[in-house]
Amino acid sequence: MASLYGWLDERLGLEELLEFARHKTVPVHKHTFWYYWGGISLFFFIVQLFTGVLLLVYYRPGPEAYDSVRQITYDINFGWLIRSTHSWAANLMLVAIFVHMFSVFFMKAYRKPREFGWWSGLVLLLMTMLFGFSGYLLPMDELAYFATKIGLEMPEKIPWIGPKIASLLRGGLEVNEFTVQRFFALHVVILPLAFLPLLGFHLWLVQKHGNAVPPSEEAKPVEQRRTMPFFPNFLAKDLAMWLIALNVLAVLAALFPWQLGEQADPTKAPPPGIHPEWYFMSMFYVLELFQGTWGLAVSMGIFTLGLVLWTLIPFYDPDSRNGKRARQATWFGLVVVLILTATTILGYWGVYGKGH
Amino acid sequence: MNYPFWDVPHIGSGWVIGIIAIFHVMISHFAVGGGFYLVLAERKALRENRQDWLEILRGHSKFFLILTGVFGAASGVGIWFAIGLAHPEATSTLIHNFVFGWAIEWVFFIVELTTAAVYYYTYGRVSNELHLKVGWLYAAASLLTLVIINGILTFMLTPGQAWLNHALSGREADFFWQAFFNPTYWPSLVLRTLVCVSLAGIWALVTCSRLDGETHGNLKTELVRWSSKWLIPSFFLMPFVMVWYLLSVPETQRELLKLGISTIGSGAFTQVTRVGLVIIMASATIVLVVYFLAWRSPKDFTFSHAVSVLLLGLVATGAGEYTRETLRKPYVVGQHMYSNGVRVKWVEKYNKEGYLKHSPWVRQDPSLPPAMAVGEAMFRGQCMSCHTRDAYRSMERLLAGRNRESIGNVLKILHENGEPYRRYMPPLVGTAEEIKALGDYLAAMVAPKTNAAPAALAARP
Repeated sequence: MASLYGWLDERLGLEELLEFARHKTVPVHKHTFWYYWGGISLFFFIVQLFTGVLLLVYYRPGPEAYDSVRQITYDINFGWLIRSTHSWAANLMLVAIFVHMFSVFFMKAYRKPREFGWWSGLVLLLMTMLFGFSGYLLPMDELAYFATKIGLEMPEKIPWIGPKIASLLRGGLEVNEFTVQRFFALHVVILPLAFLPLLGFHLWLVQKHGNAVPPSEEAKPVEQRRTMPFFPNFLAKDLAMWLIALNVLAVLAALFPWQLGEQADPTKAPPPGIHPEWYFMSMFYVLELFQGTWGLAVSMGIFTLGLVLWTLIPFYDPDSRNGKRARQATWFGLVVVLILTATTILGYWGVYGKGH
Repeated sequence: MNYPFWDVPHIGSGWVIGIIAIFHVMISHFAVGGGFYLVLAERKALRENRQDWLEILRGHSKFFLILTGVFGAASGVGIWFAIGLAHPEATSTLIHNFVFGWAIEWVFFIVELTTAAVYYYTYGRVSNELHLKVGWLYAAASLLTLVIINGILTFMLTPGQAWLNHALSGREADFFWQAFFNPTYWPSLVLRTLVCVSLAGIWALVTCSRLDGETHGNLKTELVRWSSKWLIPSFFLMPFVMVWYLLSVPETQRELLKLGISTIGSGAFTQVTRVGLVIIMASATIVLVVYFLAWRSPKDFTFSHAVSVLLLGLVATGAGEYTRETLRKPYVVGQHMYSNGVRVKWVEKYNKEGYLKHSPWVRQDPSLPPAMAVGEAMFRGQCMSCHTRDAYRSMERLLAGRNRESIGNVLKILHENGEPYRRYMPPLVGTAEEIKALGDYLAAMVAPKTNAAPAALAARP
């Protein structure tokens, strides 16, 4: 064993890596719990890669899309489990990313020198949402079909370029097998090609700058701050968290297997309660709320402005010396959480609560 | 004799029992394992003259007394209230057979409660020897409560052929011991004892996690590691005992685990198999998480880590109880009484003479037309033990889109043959008129939804 390690070490420099890992530390304080969420997001992404590749073996985009998913769900050994795991992990990955993003925001971890970590993270979130959107159509059952139809109405409402974007995504005027092929290409080739390098960049930045400490911890003198070694202490805890995440995923996938509805039929009326996935619900609600051209301008304006402000927050609150700006940024974050939660709940209430 | 039905909207009465039972198991099994933990830890501390350990153990025994004495006892009584309401037939059968078993259990229970209080309040006030003796007395009494109740619980899955041969003869109670030491008695006792030992360690980790790792580094390390070791017996033995348990379950019940494969598709398991897999996975995770979070870095083991382990324990326990209950389907007392209270031996009689004629407590709703009232009474009496109207195992969802004829076909399958349904669901009993009335009632219940759906769709923007 020792000689094998020596052989590998000589060629790969394992000892240098370990030495580096031993020097790396993670701050310990009452908010340490929030440090795990980036890792949990990464874990779910790894699950997505693994289960996605397995699904790819049997999935056939185009006119046979529905049949192939039916085959995966009902005929192939444990196909239902892999499909359920893939769908649930996608949702859990987004939950984890949202928790990660807001914890980063409230811990002020976007401040100098971590601005690029913040921006790359935001792009990764948007890409994950696109992953979700493009993956949702692939089974081509009723729910997927009509939800995608509604989803594509969102970009369509953007003035001038909107219809062109929607048409480009759809591959024509209607959602059909060409749309499935475009979404498939987007889901398994284009997005991963863009996502993976950016994820590498994001992780490299985390490695380079280490964990940021929250303002409450920053206020303490350096000698009073506690840390733990990254290797093996934090890594062991990270692995334990991954195991817990895997359990949550297993419970959901096993007890609530992802359903496959009827095959999509554009000539039929949509089933009740059609709506986009929960992470688009807020946007969906706001778009439904403001009708007409002016309403559209208002709702798109709100979202664009919100996203721009969210992106630019490191410029507004760049360091810990300006307490007033820091407080205002925190308030801004709270308002964003409140608006997103309220509009999402109202969106669901609009879909289910009115007797639909 | 069918008693009035307890309608719990949305979750169904089964889940009322389930929720109380899962909560109760988390505490009652700790009450058994925790007793041994306390005395063994105290004995070790006394031998090594560790005052710091004794101080922590005293705090742990207070937590133990409150948790088990208040929440454990209250939830235990709560289960009996709940099963009495949710399933009076089955509860009545248990009482008629095991009334002395319960009497014995309550004696041990009172000894258990008393000694737990004496143990805590005499900490440091009586000689060490006497205090340890009180602890041992507690541990023995609590283990004996498990020894007794295990016989009654396992009876419901496997009453044993001797008892079944005399069921409904009026002499069932003569076969108390055969029913008590039934086929699943021993594997279940060993399985539950292992769970007790694990939960003793898991709950002790909650107490240990409260220690400050900075100021009490060594003490915390020792206690966390000693408590973690309580998970080792389960880690090695649980898989074997689970296999032993499953092999003791009758083939007909074990078939439920494979039902999905033959009916739904390759590798698509039934709910009970999937939940069974969750037990295995959650149990394995508990051991690994305890290794990574507690054993590897005991000083950094926080309260939230301990709570995570506890929640995983809740998942494993909940899944375990669910699987055990579901393995009994379609019976509530194996081979004797179906889950809706109909006795196996009475099926033919009910089919000939009528279900409602023999169910004087199933009251027909006077506000409904007579035929509809019969259907509604049949629904309450025979379906609602397991199904709700619109939520858990919702009839509206399960029958959605079916017309009267199709519903009639389902009822026919359930009444006459019904494989694979009949492996999971009791037969539908009653005369042709009663079954027709039930069909009409179900069709009326489902119909407004299917008619309303297109209207709701049309109204969507």
